[in-house]
Amino acid sequence: MAEESFLADDFLRQLMSVGEVDLLVGVPTYNNASTLGQTLYSVEETLRHNFVRQRAVILNVDGGSADETRQLFLQSGEGRDANHNKGLTSLRTTHRISCEYGKAPSQGLALHNIVAAADLLRAKACAVISPTTTNLTPSWVVNLLRPVYSESLDFVAPLYARTRFQGLLVRDLLYPMSRAIFGQRIREIYCEEWGFSGRLASQCLEKDVWREEAVRARPEAWMAITAISVGLKCGQSFLGPKIAPPTGTDIVEIIRQTVGNFFWCMEANQAQWLSHSNSQPVPTFGPDHELSLDGIPPSQEKIFELFRSGVSELEPILGSILSQDTHAQIKAIARSDRSQFHFLTELWVKTLYEFAASYHHAVLNRDHLVQALVPLYRGRLCSILLERADSSADAMETQSEAVCKEFERQKPYLVERWTVNR
Amino acid sequence: MKEVIIQGLSQAYANLVRMFAEFLPRLLVMMVIVVVGFLVAYGLKMILRAVLHVTRLDRLSEEAGASRFLRMAALPSMTELLSRSLFWVTWLGFILIGISVLGVAGLQEQISRLFLLLPAIFIAILILFVGLVTANFLSRAALLAAVNAGYASPKLLSWSIRFVIWALAVSMALEQVGVARQTVLAAFSIVFGALMFGLAIAFGLGGKELAREFLERNLRDKKKEKYEEPQPL
Repeated sequence: MAEESFLADDFLRQLMSVGEVDLLVGVPTYNNASTLGQTLYSVEETLRHNFVRQRAVILNVDGGSADETRQLFLQSGEGRDANHNKGLTSLRTTHRISCEYGKAPSQGLALHNIVAAADLLRAKACAVISPTTTNLTPSWVVNLLRPVYSESLDFVAPLYARTRFQGLLVRDLLYPMSRAIFGQRIREIYCEEWGFSGRLASQCLEKDVWREEAVRARPEAWMAITAISVGLKCGQSFLGPKIAPPTGTDIVEIIRQTVGNFFWCMEANQAQWLSHSNSQPVPTFGPDHELSLDGIPPSQEKIFELFRSGVSELEPILGSILSQDTHAQIKAIARSDRSQFHFLTELWVKTLYEFAASYHHAVLNRDHLVQALVPLYRGRLCSILLERADSSADAMETQSEAVCKEFERQKPYLVERWTVNR
Repeated sequence: MKEVIIQGLSQAYANLVRMFAEFLPRLLVMMVIVVVGFLVAYGLKMILRAVLHVTRLDRLSEEAGASRFLRMAALPSMTELLSRSLFWVTWLGFILIGISVLGVAGLQEQISRLFLLLPAIFIAILILFVGLVTANFLSRAALLAAVNAGYASPKLLSWSIRFVIWALAVSMALEQVGVARQTVLAAFSIVFGALMFGLAIAFGLGGKELAREFLERNLRDKKKEKYEEPQPL
């Protein structure tokens, strides 16, 4: 088996002692001792009360924590087993396995271990749960596992309730673009919690891409796109608002990871999407979006300044990525006054499609190309903040839908630029 | 008297004929070597071109930004450039062998020297190429990082990095071919030392306030600035 070559012997022994399971919950950790207790409590409560007859395993894959996360994982299991034996509802023992996959955290390596374990244990439904989410409740785990186990879905993305200024990269770039390209209306393919089937785990395990930087950085999105590409059933499930400790917003790193991963997936799956148009809704459990009007609009001054200086300083780089017309339009709006500033949706979509095509044709180093998008994203962000500062939640959703339609309308332009010989 | 003149002329004519008779076969050998050299060089060029097409060197060169510089200098693609270089180096080698066959006194030594220099020239070209690619890659990486972080004068930073790497590559290449070794070393040391010294003075004395502002902005106020942007995911 492929997984025998990279799973540690001790980890393999633990997996073999468990035998086959119905459910697998993976908890990737790295120095999460402070929040792991709540995560494990929610997972165990879910398995105990909602999957009474199913054989289950909780799998901790650790990236070399220095704060005794693994010990905490194993000890908390012992304590709860005692409670469980005192007469709670589960009829089966919930197994706990912990392994250390390396000395540095890596989302890709963590998921590689989880899917290998799922394949080996022949798990029917799996979920990955992030220990950084501080408001995780048992319902989250149920909402991710049940559609896979009971409704035979192969990939279940989460849906989070958001404030109006949260997740703008998702709402204005990642969701509309993934919807237009891959034809499935899954809102959150870049997520920290998701569910998947054993079937999808086996398919992913067979792919020889685990060493790719794009897959290592955001394996969940690659998994979602793989599910779509091979024709497996995808859906989404509402979880509620997500609260995680602030980790800062390094927009450059986030764009490198997400947009870099998305462009890479476009290239890897081009045979699937080049011939398709339009998009289809996917099975959705719970509301398909929830936007609150909380949150203070961030200052646009600095964001606009970074956009303007970026367009000016990166002129030769942008000139090699964009068409003359698009580049000229961007330079023109960068010269406008901030109060009059508009980065129109049509121009934004065209810009992104030209970036994607240039990535495909490798007009310059691909990581540099993705980084050159950052100032333009800031420009678009500034435009959104100016235009939608007083919009209602419904109006914002309508505007987001219009962005999605524009991405779908311009897809033939992307195909044209993508397939042209350079 | 007349006889002496005739004898001298006939002697000179006989020498000329003998020299020509000795030289003609050598000339023919040289021409054969040059023609064979051309064919070998052409064959090697075609093989290298095919290998480089398979390894997609042009794409790598495009990604690294070296192709842009080649276009700016009106040079052909990287594959074409390397194939042509190999052709000329090989053919030149054969031409020099051919010339040495002629046996012209004094030329032998010069040709031997030139022969010894050929590998060094090739390595020097390689050093310049690697320097060009590295300088372009690192200066662009620095430019993007500085622009995205909102630092002042990102182009200055980018050009400084490019200049330092170019200077290093050029001095290494000249050192390799042995052109004015001491002068190159001294010139590089002076330029590099002056640059570093200038920067040290600029930051240490002239730009004290600027340096303080820079450090404050990047250490103390970094968190505050970062949170100005809304959560993207």
